[in-house]
Amino acid sequence: MSSWFDYTLNGIIIGNIYALLAVGLALIFGVARLINFAHGSVYVVGAYAGFVAVTQFGTPLPLTILIAVAVGALLGLVIERFGLRPLQGYAHIAPLLATIGISFVLDQIMQLTFSPDPRALPSELLQQRFQVGSGTIGALDLLIAAIGLASAGLLYAFLRYTKLGWAVRATAQDRDAAQQMGVNVDAINRTVFAIASGLGALSGLLVGMYYNYIDPAMSFQATLKGVVAQVVGGVGNVPGAIAGSLLLGLVESYGIALFGTSYRNLFAFVLLVAVLVLKPNGLFASRRQTPPEPMTGTFIAPSKPIHIPYRILVALALVAALLPAVLPDPYVLQTLTNAWLYGLAGLSLTLIAGTVGLISLGHAALLAIGGYASALLSINLGVPIGLSILSAGLIAAAIGTLLVFPSFRLRGHYLSIATLAIGEIVSLVILNWESLTRGPIGISGIPPLSIFGIELDTDRSIYWFTLATLVVLAALQFRLLGSHLGRVLRAVRDDDIAARSYGIGLNRYKALAFAVGSFAAGISGGITSHLYSYINHETFNSQLSILALTIVILGGMGNVAGAILGSVLLVGLPEVFRIAAEYRVLIYGLVLLLLIRFRPQGLLGTV
Amino acid sequence: MTAGAAPAPKPAEPLLALDSINTFYGPVQVHFDLNLTVGRGQIVCLLGGNASGKSTTMKIILGLVKPASGVVRLGGEPVSGLPTPQIVRRGVGSVPEARRLFGEMTVRENLLMGAFTRRDERAIARDLDRALGLFPKLAERLGQRAGTLSGGEQQMVAMARALMGRPKLICMDEPTMGLSPLWVDRVLDLIATINREGVTVFMVEQNASLALEIAHHAYVLQTGRIVLDGPAGDLRSDPRIRDAYLGGQDKT
Ligand SMILES: Nc1ncnc2c1ncn2[C@@H]1O[C@H](COP(=O)(O)OP(=O)(O)O)[C@@H](O)[C@H]1O
Ligand SMILES: [Mg+2]
Repeated sequence: MSSWFDYTLNGIIIGNIYALLAVGLALIFGVARLINFAHGSVYVVGAYAGFVAVTQFGTPLPLTILIAVAVGALLGLVIERFGLRPLQGYAHIAPLLATIGISFVLDQIMQLTFSPDPRALPSELLQQRFQVGSGTIGALDLLIAAIGLASAGLLYAFLRYTKLGWAVRATAQDRDAAQQMGVNVDAINRTVFAIASGLGALSGLLVGMYYNYIDPAMSFQATLKGVVAQVVGGVGNVPGAIAGSLLLGLVESYGIALFGTSYRNLFAFVLLVAVLVLKPNGLFASRRQTPPEPMTGTFIAPSKPIHIPYRILVALALVAALLPAVLPDPYVLQTLTNAWLYGLAGLSLTLIAGTVGLISLGHAALLAIGGYASALLSINLGVPIGLSILSAGLIAAAIGTLLVFPSFRLRGHYLSIATLAIGEIVSLVILNWESLTRGPIGISGIPPLSIFGIELDTDRSIYWFTLATLVVLAALQFRLLGSHLGRVLRAVRDDDIAARSYGIGLNRYKALAFAVGSFAAGISGGITSHLYSYINHETFNSQLSILALTIVILGGMGNVAGAILGSVLLVGLPEVFRIAAEYRVLIYGLVLLLLIRFRPQGLLGTV
Repeated sequence: MTAGAAPAPKPAEPLLALDSINTFYGPVQVHFDLNLTVGRGQIVCLLGGNASGKSTTMKIILGLVKPASGVVRLGGEPVSGLPTPQIVRRGVGSVPEARRLFGEMTVRENLLMGAFTRRDERAIARDLDRALGLFPKLAERLGQRAGTLSGGEQQMVAMARALMGRPKLICMDEPTMGLSPLWVDRVLDLIATINREGVTVFMVEQNASLALEIAHHAYVLQTGRIVLDGPAGDLRSDPRIRDAYLGGQDKT
């Protein structure tokens, strides 16, 4: 085992790399009040820009750095142009979701261009290592530390001593007042996006060199790490972001030393949730700071479901039920079965987001809990399948609600980030709790779907079963939303402040909505596990969370029929047109972007 | 006691004119066909009770809020279509409601932010000295974070910051709000001084009697309509101002 010196050093190096990411996120948040989820994509693009420069043109290191930074800065300008500028005046969550869409698009483009396979990023530098006391220090370590320090120093000087830097700080503190000083805040936004993205790209390049490894999938993790470091240091706080990054780097490094590599991210996200819940202004916030204002706006746009007559809904359900008789094509039936399952996830999220206004970015975790619950109950305890699926719903509701409950005091962005982190934690716990979940191996041999002992072994019977489940839960949700309770829940969303004055009851209603919603997600995950017969910790991944969110936005938040329509369109159509899997994510990203821009109330919603 | 008004110059072509302004926040109309002018070199005061639309008038002039119809003219040129920074560059300084200093920045940085649109570094340095001459208290606070100052001191910073842009017109939104009587006098004195040095002042006040002491002309706004206007001297003794104005204030 290497010495503590090495772990400390490693922690500081990684912390430096995180700092380059987090500082950019903090700057962007400062002036634009936006958590830029496309930041990790910039990081990946930076790494690949360096890769192309080095492998194709054999550029020397300083030039490679320059290229990566320039490419990153340009990309930052593009993101600002399409992710932020058109959405001025929208709810604050809108640009956040737009950056998620942009990151899907960028990551997918990178994957299509460079293939998903990892590459080596050779650096002529520096396999040299120097002996220092009991440990060693590599030339690359020194370089990264030096670049980290130099960037921080330059940034400090810029913010502190230049007129443009003052304008950046002034805009971050009071956008309107800055305008009244003659500051063109749009130009400041662009400047900040360029600087932040340049630093983010540099970070990607350095990571690639440090591990001699890059792949397009690094993006999401990078965004998350940057967000964690930033939240730990205080959202929008530049020095805090640096301190938070170093802390995160050290925590991870020592965590690896003590528990092993697979725990690394678990520490990061536990740290994030703990800071969010206990000190939402970050560890280094000064006393007088209040949480930044945008953390309150939760929904994208006011959306009321378009009224669809009861008769038409029944007729549509009948058509769906009769479909297998008319069109017994197994491919169509499997596709629609899939759509019904995503529809269940959509129902779940649309209830939670549309009533109490909790936009969950980690919804896949509920499906994962349901999937594992039903699989393990049926395999380990021999629970009959139907019962195990029902239990899966209940277990997802119970565990899910318990996990998010502490976060109910958060709002807006903070709440969404908390759900994201909780989702990651669930997936990491599944990965690491080997005695229960079989860890990375996953669970195989999950018994096929059956009900009352009768195995559902035809495409048709499975289709009917999932459709029936969906229809029943959708009908219940219609009833719920139309009831007095439904109105109370919407009141919680529409006027958090007023509802707050009712005191503790507010959290109970949020919990209730979350539990009811989670039930459908758990059922969906449970059924899925029996259909797949094999699941692992990646079956229900963050892409699924974002897909669920896109489905819900497509249909309109809080819109039962919309969630099902969204699912049929997003899951069914790409299948019917046989669009290759790697293009689908691209399409999801684009759909999300276009929706937020042009129809934020959803297809079946009106303002 | 506050200083008396400077002799009123001839109101030739007005520096600022609001022409039939109608403003909405969503469905709610805030201004109804608002007309007012500010002559060069004057102090013009906009009085009115709470929520009568005074601050929104400021925001219209500064371009922070756009009117649904009507024009704002500065020196005869329409500016209402321009973004705020452009309007500021044409010589409009702002002392916003509640001061809105950059609390995490030092006093010096705040003052220099006021000169953001200027490039003449040497003249800026001279103006900084002049501003400190006008507001001697600030000299000892230059390195301090603006958020740590007292309310009165913050008001000085806000006024000095606006002056640093060398504006033709300064818009002040309730510059005496929340200040102790001593500071209120001081601030009004300073406004009169600034005006005597050639800067036109348009200010919003709830504190009618004090504001009328330094103003040349005043308008009274009631729920988005000008209900009364005239030379400050006339209004001071006009019983109607009490009715119109205090009527609005009753709502608070
Ligand atoms: N940003 C806004 N959105 C909606 N309504 C506003 C906004 N700002 C002000 N109002 C409303 O417009 C009216 C006039 O406000 P304001 O101009 O601030 O009044 P005053 O400065 O005279 O107190 C008030 O009823 C206020 O509630
Ligand atoms: Mg006001």
